[in-house]
Amino acid sequence: MSDLTPLAVLLLAAGGALALACLEQLIAGGSPSPVVVARRAAATVRQPLSRPETYDSWLFHLAPPLLLVAAVTALATVPWAPGFRGIDLETGVLVFGAALAYVTPAVFMAGWGAGRPLAVVGGFRFVAQMLAYAMPLTMAVTAVATPAESLRPIAIVDVQHAVPMLVSQPLAFVLFLPSVMAVAFIAPFDLPQARSELGGGVFSAYTGVQAGMVALAQKVLVLAAAGMTAALFLGGWHGPLLPAAVWMALKTLAVAALMLWTGRRLPRFEVEPLLTFAWKAAIPAAIGAIVWAGLVTLVFYR
Amino acid sequence: MSLTVVIAVAALLFGIGLYGVLSQTNAVMIVMGVELMLGAAMLNVVGFLRYAWPEAVSGSFFVLVVMTLMALEAAVGFALITSVFRNRRTAEVDDLTELQG
Amino acid sequence: MSELSTALVFWPGAVVMLAAGVFVFRTPSMTRAGLLLLVALAVEGLLFLALASQFLGVLQLLMMSAEMTVMVFFMVMYMPDPGGLMGMDMTHQKRTSTSFAVAVGVGLAVLAVVTDWPATTLPADAPDVRAIGFEVMGRSMFTFLFAGVTILFSMVGAVMLGERGGRFDLARPGDERRAEQETEG
Repeated sequence: MSDLTPLAVLLLAAGGALALACLEQLIAGGSPSPVVVARRAAATVRQPLSRPETYDSWLFHLAPPLLLVAAVTALATVPWAPGFRGIDLETGVLVFGAALAYVTPAVFMAGWGAGRPLAVVGGFRFVAQMLAYAMPLTMAVTAVATPAESLRPIAIVDVQHAVPMLVSQPLAFVLFLPSVMAVAFIAPFDLPQARSELGGGVFSAYTGVQAGMVALAQKVLVLAAAGMTAALFLGGWHGPLLPAAVWMALKTLAVAALMLWTGRRLPRFEVEPLLTFAWKAAIPAAIGAIVWAGLVTLVFYR
Repeated sequence: MSLTVVIAVAALLFGIGLYGVLSQTNAVMIVMGVELMLGAAMLNVVGFLRYAWPEAVSGSFFVLVVMTLMALEAAVGFALITSVFRNRRTAEVDDLTELQG
Repeated sequence: MSELSTALVFWPGAVVMLAAGVFVFRTPSMTRAGLLLLVALAVEGLLFLALASQFLGVLQLLMMSAEMTVMVFFMVMYMPDPGGLMGMDMTHQKRTSTSFAVAVGVGLAVLAVVTDWPATTLPADAPDVRAIGFEVMGRSMFTFLFAGVTILFSMVGAVMLGERGGRFDLARPGDERRAEQETEG
C-alpha cells in the first residue's frame, strides 16, 4: 500500500459512481451523459440541509457519513488489479463482509433519526432484510474461499486463472448475487426506500449534501458489490489479450449492468416472500453450496 | 503499551458492564451489561495473546467461542424475555416477584 | 503493527470504548443505548486489530454490527419508553450497584497495575489466520463441534421459548386478555 492508495480509492469511488449513473441512464433507455449526471448532483448538493420536526439529531446526522464510510471500505477491499488494492489483509473477504455489515446500522439510524413513521418502518424492514441476506452472503464467500485456501481476495482471484468460480460453483454465485443486491438495497430489493409504498422510506428526510452522500454511498456500494462479484466469481483480472485492469473493469461493469437491468425488469419484492425465500431456501442452499465447495476442492483443486 | 494497560482497560470495561447488570431494571439492558462483561473478558485474552503468549493459538480459539457465546446468550436471553413479556406484558425485572418468599 | 501505531490506536480507542460503555446506561433513548453498545464493541474490534489479532478484530466488527442492531429491536419492543421522551427512571439499587461496580472495576484495574505481568515481544513468525484455521479444524475440533451443537440447541430452545404457545403449546395466562382485546378491537 503506497501513500497514494487512499486517494486512488476515493477517486475510484467518485469515478465509479459517475460511470454507474451513466450505466443506469443507458439501461433506462436514455443516452448516457456524464454532464447531466454531474449537473444533477451539483443541484442536489446545493440544496439547503433539512431539519425534520421530530428527530434524533445525532443518529440523523451520523447515518450518511457512516453509510459512505462503510461503502468506501467495502470498495477498498476489492482487488482491482494485480498491483492495486486498498485494504490487502489476510482476512480481506471478511473485511468486505464487515464493511457491508455496517450498512445495516447506518440505514436503521437514518430511518429512526428522521422520526417519520414511514422512515422508521423502512429502517425496520431493512434490518430484517439484512439479517436474512447477510447469512447466505457470508456462506457464499466461505464457499469460494475454500478452493483458494485463503480469505485473501487476491488468492481467490489467482486460483481462478483457469476456471472461474462461476463455472465450478454456480450455486454460490446464484446466492451471492441477490445477497449483495439486498445489501446494496437496489431494486428489486429496495424495500427500505420504496418510493411508492413508503414515500421514499428511510432517506426521505435528507436533502442537500446529506442526500448526495446517501446517493453516492449507494452507487459505491453497487460498485463494490459488482467488483467483488467479478473478483470472486468471474476470475477477476484474468483474461486473454487485454490488460488485467481492463478485464476487471469490463467484468465489473457487466455485473453492475446485470444488477441494474434486473432491478428494472423485476417488480419490487414484498417483505414476506423475500424473507421466506432467504430463511427457507437461500440459507439451506448456502449450506449445500459449502458442501459442494468442499467436494470441488477435494476433487479438482488438489 | 503493555499488558498492564490492556488488562486495566478490560477491568474498567468489566466494571461498567457490572454496573449495568446491577442497576438496570429492564431485562434487555441487563443483557447489554452482560455483553460488555464478556467483551472485557475477550479483551483480556487478546491482551494476553499479544503480550504474553503470542504462540498460543488456542487463545484465539477461546475468543471465538466467547464471541459465539455472546450471540447465544443474547438469543436465548431475548427468547426468555419474549416469553415473559407475552405472559406479563412487562420486561421489568422488579415486577417479576412471584417466587419471592 | 509497530509499538507506536498500536498505542496510537489503543489509547483513543480505549477512551471511546469506555465512554460509550458508560453512556449505554446513561442515555434515556433506547435506540441510542443499543447503538452506543455497538460503538463500544466495534471499537473493541479495532483494539483487537491494534493488538495484532487480525482475524478476531475483523470477526468482532462483523458480528457485533448485526447483533447490536437486533438488540436495538428488542429494546424498542420491550421498553416502556423506547424513545426516552418520558424521562422514566430505569435503574434500581443505585448506590449499591454504583459502589459495587466501581469497587470491582477499579479494584481489578489496580490489581492489574500492581501485578508484574510477562512482557514478550511479538515474534516475526507469530501465528496468522491460517494457524487459527488449523487450530479450529485440528486440535480444537471437538470443542468446535461442541460449540456447533450448542448453537443448534440454543436455536431450538430460543424458537420454542419465543413461540406464542410456549413449549407445550398451551394456553397461557395472557391469552384470555389478548382474545378479549382482539374481539373488542
